[in-house]
Amino acid sequence: MQNTVLVVGAGPAGLAAAAGVAGAGMNVVLVEKEDRLGGTPILSGYAKLVPSGEWAKDAMGRMIKRVEDVRGATIHKGAKVTKLDGEAGRFIATISNGKTVECGAVILATGFTHFDSINKPEWGFGTFEDVVTTTQVEQMVVAGKIACPSDGRVPDRVAILLCVGSRDRQIGREWCSKICCTVSTNLAMEIKELSPQTDVFIYYMDIRTFGLYEDRFYWKSQEEFKTKFVKARIAEVTKSPDGRLLVKGEDTLVKRPIVIPMDLVVHAIGMDPNEDNPEIAKVFGIALEKHGFIERAEHYTNTCGTTRRGIYAVGAALGPETIDDSISQGQAAAMRAVNDLHALVQKIA
Amino acid sequence: MAIHEKTLIDPARLMTTDSLVVDGVDVSGHWNTMILPRYLTDYDDDFYKIIAAMPGGENVHRCWQCGSCTNSCTMYAQNTDFNPRYWIYLTNLGLKDEIIKDKDIIWTCVSCNKCTNICPKDVRPEGVMKALSHWMEEQGITPKASSSIFDEEFLDQVYETGRMEDGRIVYNFFKKTGQSLTQDWLVEVMKRMIKYMPVSFLMHMGLHLVFKPRTKKWERTQQVLREYVREQKAAAHTPQPKGVVHA
Repeated sequence: MQNTVLVVGAGPAGLAAAAGVAGAGMNVVLVEKEDRLGGTPILSGYAKLVPSGEWAKDAMGRMIKRVEDVRGATIHKGAKVTKLDGEAGRFIATISNGKTVECGAVILATGFTHFDSINKPEWGFGTFEDVVTTTQVEQMVVAGKIACPSDGRVPDRVAILLCVGSRDRQIGREWCSKICCTVSTNLAMEIKELSPQTDVFIYYMDIRTFGLYEDRFYWKSQEEFKTKFVKARIAEVTKSPDGRLLVKGEDTLVKRPIVIPMDLVVHAIGMDPNEDNPEIAKVFGIALEKHGFIERAEHYTNTCGTTRRGIYAVGAALGPETIDDSISQGQAAAMRAVNDLHALVQKIA
Repeated sequence: MAIHEKTLIDPARLMTTDSLVVDGVDVSGHWNTMILPRYLTDYDDDFYKIIAAMPGGENVHRCWQCGSCTNSCTMYAQNTDFNPRYWIYLTNLGLKDEIIKDKDIIWTCVSCNKCTNICPKDVRPEGVMKALSHWMEEQGITPKASSSIFDEEFLDQVYETGRMEDGRIVYNFFKKTGQSLTQDWLVEVMKRMIKYMPVSFLMHMGLHLVFKPRTKKWERTQQVLREYVREQKAAAHTPQPKGVVHA
């Protein structure tokens, strides 16, 4: 029991945690609620990942294979943890497939849920076919064709609206989703590569391509791919009589209202807390922070800790997170869990 | 209702008909004032390519609107309507009409290059100001600059004769720019030339002014030169075809 770690969620963070635990010589039990491994990058059909530029299926495929091949890993797909008894060092988890797992520690890599654009009806998603999300454009890139869903035409103009479901007190999302700026500038380049005649406009309040993403994504997109950045938060998306979409807002640099025709409008959707978080909090007996993500313990010496001893959390379960950092956190939590289990064993001996 | 605060409205957007009767009701003058909407309704997606194809404008698309150029600008210190950051934004979005509103001040850039030195993205705003000024001159939005008139006169003579005559260039330049040929200083120059220059040289000049001699067998060279200049101009003024991605 004290040499087994339960990992919940098989996305980038969970796969890294599982590989980390097994690599340290302990047993790992990986529980994934979907019937496929790989998490959101696979389930949502992402194209090339930021910042590596590798196709999601290749990159995640390697992560999955690493876990499948490693000794000491047991994988339950299409299953959820429904109950957790015991305490750090001797948990007993009940899984929905009827199995029980004895484990010393639990790592929650339960990720996030994409913001549902239906919650911002004024931006046209669900009303107009040619208003789509970044996830849908990722899928278009995978399919190798950028097209307007309404009639399949290649768009002359694409507008990407940033901060959809982020930084918006109106809908109770007071956080920055951290990665949408970088993802959007990357998508702008991918759109231009697939469809050189298309002009891409990014409507922004701020551009937050932090760290090394600045020149590799923002600058490159603007300087080499001629993406246009317009400082305006769009107020409304409507349709013109000719069937094109109209984005309305105030261009804050020209100080004038704008009504600009577009062919395709893309919502750069943010990261919500996993919609199952209330249930997860109840099952695992942990607290959520005020936005609904999993609450962190003091981070300096209890890295990846939650409010309950022996339970760790990683990646986008803790708040908007990049894939790369989720992977690092998975590896870090594995280390931390193994450390704590060793300490427990020594204490008992 | 009469509009009292017309000062707040761009005069170009105010429409008033002096005499108008609608359904038998006299609504002449301010009673029929209409205000055109202030919406911007479209971009000219390729306009920045025209500016980028002109010398100095190559990096215009790099701008991220930090405002360093405007903040460092010598002219902005004199006149806060002189705003390079703003014009660069308008250029990139192709909001030409907005640029043209400032046609009378853009060309006043003094080329101190403080903007170009400070720009974190290497946009070279001073070059963009030059490119915009040249574009407006070419489009006839602003009158031709004296220097352009001089250049044209010079080139025309070269095309025509394969050589240029100082006297004729100065004469035509003054004529085209509406400058008097009897200005005191010019008259003085002529007097002194006549007084101090060798007679043979003056005769030479006079003959050339009258007979406009050409370089021998100039026709063929003239054709080649004209064609070359035409090609160069076309190349410099052709925006990259839509969709071509170039670094």
